[in-house]
Amino acid sequence: MDRNRLQHQVACMRRSLFDQGYLDEPFIQLEELQDDANPNFVQEIVTLFYSDSARLIQNIEHALNSRPIDFNKLDDYMHQFKGSSSSIGAKKVTNECTVFREHCSAENAEGCIRSFQQVKQEYAILRRKLEVYLQMVGQAAVSQTA
Amino acid sequence: MAPAADEAKSGNGGQIQRPFTFNEIVLRNRLTALVVDGDNFCRLLQQGILQAYGLQTQTVDNGDAAVELIASGAKFDLILIDMLLPILDGLEATRRIRAMGVNCKMLGVTAFSGERERQAFLAAGVDLFVEKPLGPEVLIPILRELDGQYPSI
Repeated sequence: MDRNRLQHQVACMRRSLFDQGYLDEPFIQLEELQDDANPNFVQEIVTLFYSDSARLIQNIEHALNSRPIDFNKLDDYMHQFKGSSSSIGAKKVTNECTVFREHCSAENAEGCIRSFQQVKQEYAILRRKLEVYLQMVGQAAVSQTA
Repeated sequence: MAPAADEAKSGNGGQIQRPFTFNEIVLRNRLTALVVDGDNFCRLLQQGILQAYGLQTQTVDNGDAAVELIASGAKFDLILIDMLLPILDGLEATRRIRAMGVNCKMLGVTAFSGERERQAFLAAGVDLFVEKPLGPEVLIPILRELDGQYPSI
């Protein structure tokens, strides 16, 4: 693909990720930390976010399936997930984590189960979009050095 | 190379006003930092951010390890500590660190956002309560102060 066209596509995709509310300010900070000394910083951080999130999602699912539900443990897990998702700028995921924690405070099991589905959905959507975006960023970087 | 930061737009389509960017500070001195966070991702992210600024940064994943490290004589210019920590929580760890006579800058960096949590963390001894994520608008002025780039008041 033509280099300029590829870079234009990357820029458009990036703008839409922010305009549609999937990403927020902290992601910009990650991008600014990427330089010649740390050329893969964003990908490394995002990959770490994926593995950390998978662990937390599994823990939350296990806690939700336990009887009786330990709402304190649930809240701790979601607190961690909110922390990591907000640190990467995953705005929609962070917002859904907040909703979940409100249901947790109220010890509303049905609400927790419903909102957890939303958390997982938003996380899956973000992950798909980020994978595509970062793949294109990588292709654009290769085309620049070619 | 990362896309230009000013291409980012807010949700309403406007430009995000950014008073600080990460590359706006150059440290003259070799500063040291300790990151205390039980979450692997947040710990490594904060370490990465501080190292990018040029701070020599250590990390531990629980409050007890933080207290032990400082009790062993390790000195830091800056400590970032989370509230929710395994083994020994951030509040008690902060109290014990301060009780040892440690006066360095301590930031309570946490996903908690309530006033009750803020007051508790400040009462425990942190200098500043910061809701995650820790951004340059908070960190850069502190680093300048620690580096002596601002006159002390």
